[in-house]
Amino acid sequence: MDFELSAEHRMIRDSVREFCEEEIAPIAQEVENEHRFPAEVFEELGELDMMGVPISEEYGGLGGDQLMYALVTEELGRVSGGIGLSYAAHVSLGSKPIEMFGTDEQKERWLTPLASGEEMAAWALTEPGSGSDASDMDTIAEKDGDEYVLNGTKQFITNASVAGSVLVKAVTEPGEGYDGISTFIVDPEEDDGFEVTTVWDKMGLNCSPTCEISLDDVRIPEERLLGEEGEGWKQTMKTLDGGRISIAALSTGLAQGAYEAAKQYSGEREQFGQPISKFDAIRDKVVDMYRKTERARLLTHKAAVRYDAGERVSTESALAKLDASEAAREVAEDAVQVLGGYGYTEDFSPQRFYRDAKLMEIGEGTSEIQHLVLGRQLGL
Amino acid sequence: MMKILVTVKEVAEVEDDFEIDGLGIDEAYLEYDLNEWDDYAVEEAVQIAEAGDDVEVVSVTIGPERSEETIRMALAKGADRAIRVWDDAFESVDLLDVAAKTRLLAAVVEKEDPDLVLTGVQAADDGFGATGVSVADEVGFEWAAVVNELDLDADGGVANVRRELEGGVEELTEVDLPAVLTIQTGINEPRYASLRGIRQAQRKEIAPMSLDDLGFDASALDSPIALTGMSEPESESDATLFEGDAEETAAQLAEVLREKGVGAQ
Ligand SMILES: Cc1cc2nc3c(=O)[nH]c(=O)nc-3n(C[C@H](O)[C@H](O)[C@H](O)COP(=O)(O)OP(=O)(O)OC[C@H]3O[C@@H](n4cnc5c(N)ncnc54)[C@H](O)[C@@H]3O)c2cc1C
Repeated sequence: MDFELSAEHRMIRDSVREFCEEEIAPIAQEVENEHRFPAEVFEELGELDMMGVPISEEYGGLGGDQLMYALVTEELGRVSGGIGLSYAAHVSLGSKPIEMFGTDEQKERWLTPLASGEEMAAWALTEPGSGSDASDMDTIAEKDGDEYVLNGTKQFITNASVAGSVLVKAVTEPGEGYDGISTFIVDPEEDDGFEVTTVWDKMGLNCSPTCEISLDDVRIPEERLLGEEGEGWKQTMKTLDGGRISIAALSTGLAQGAYEAAKQYSGEREQFGQPISKFDAIRDKVVDMYRKTERARLLTHKAAVRYDAGERVSTESALAKLDASEAAREVAEDAVQVLGGYGYTEDFSPQRFYRDAKLMEIGEGTSEIQHLVLGRQLGL
Repeated sequence: MMKILVTVKEVAEVEDDFEIDGLGIDEAYLEYDLNEWDDYAVEEAVQIAEAGDDVEVVSVTIGPERSEETIRMALAKGADRAIRVWDDAFESVDLLDVAAKTRLLAAVVEKEDPDLVLTGVQAADDGFGATGVSVADEVGFEWAAVVNELDLDADGGVANVRRELEGGVEELTEVDLPAVLTIQTGINEPRYASLRGIRQAQRKEIAPMSLDDLGFDASALDSPIALTGMSEPESESDATLFEGDAEETAAQLAEVLREKGVGAQ
């Protein structure tokens, strides 16, 4: 067992960290306040080959592994949860399934612009009436000659308003349950009937657009079916196995950012004639923040390494996501506390990490659902 | 075909709070990184290579195995290959002085026979600020120090440079190739290494070179300079905060400047 990163992985992490500190950290609060998707940042991420880290070089990706992707995602989370979320949704949810399940033609046309960062990706599973019980969806795709006609509403879709393609889950065989779901590649620009009806104002992550979309008789050619009819649910499970690792990595980054802010502040802030880190209560808090962050990272890396070895990771990715998302929320909350009144202001980052961290316990399966998944894996 | 040799150095950066341990700083307080000036030198070389055709950029460092990670950053940003000079004999040397570095780098220059050598103005840690010019002198190249603008006429064999002199004065001059230019920060905007660049850099060559390979023995590292002590300089700082609107604060600033004698004839 080797806990050291390779020189290549370390160099990539350090280089991404430098970029994040210099180019993203200074605007992280600003883009939140403005509720603005920073397209210019994603353009730069594309230029640095970050938008397709785990996508094969053949389709414009970096050809890196899941561990490398987790490292990059963590670094983004360490400075901006919102940018990190849009990034992870782009890679894990919107791009990776095209690589895993698409035909060569589909990859050429749809994956290449995503991996190179020319276009953003989105993935639409959730609906107003189906969240945790995601397979119970109402969106329907009817075959009409050599076309499909899509109708329905999707809810909370990250990046939908800025995306070049959206992977939409829809029922092709009503009454068939899990086996009646299929995935379609929808082009928001070209396909009539696709509309973003709401971009939500949220508790945090406001630079990452979370959208409601309406599909009203959207006609798409049959070549836009991803994989086979009826495979949509199985694809979803595989997609989430990887996706949850990235949410775990993002959460680890949020925790790391909050921990560092608290550690630094506690060494500088003096009360009663000494740095507050010298008070047991604060020292213990900071030590626990470190402990939780390190634990989250270990579970995340373990899941990523297993993924790269081609093993099943349903258990590991659910466990990493469950643990890291809780760690992020707890560490961020404690960071606010360590900074006292300043921690409650927008001039300091802990409040932002706190707001951003809460979503990690909700998206890509709530913590309750991760318990459900893990209970099943443990045979309970 | 043109060849540019860029000298790079891994420098130690000290944390804000640190402890001196004998003649050095405890490793726990040190982080290693590519010397800032060298980053600009690498960028300048890579930009020349990108603008011309058939330009090879070779980077050279004197440093232990650990420094491979730093020199690989130059490869990630676009250098074609690298040379790392090291030998067991270095382990027992406290201070590698300018003369020793000059001997080693001059030997590399003679082996590689570049048209242009770019170095940083100085290294952020030991800060001699002399190596580049000293190497030029040793190998008999033309040189220009503290270059903050470079316009290379490769066909004409001339580098048109702008040099930064003391007191804000600048000099425009022409330097015939082959030449050594010591590069000042700000001459360009160093890029971030792309992730593909980093991945490709793992497969690029870093050729090891020992003293023997360069035709020396351990005596090449001898120096009349010895490190005898290390201490933190006493520093004094004084900050005045002006309050009020622009007019009031400007008046207060003018008052202070007058008091300090600024602008007096
Ligand atoms: C910022 C943001 C970004 C998102 N991005 C995307 C995206 O890109 N694509 C996408 O498809 N979706 C996305 N989502 C949707 C997200 O995945 C869902 O919100 C999530 O799965 C929960 O569904 P729900 O909101 O309908 O809650 P519900 O499923 O209604 O859950 C409500 C509560 O009931 C609990 N609960 C439900 N079922 C059970 C059970 N069986 N046992 C115990 N407790 C249960 C839940 O844990 C939760 O606490 C995003 C959401 C947000 C807020």
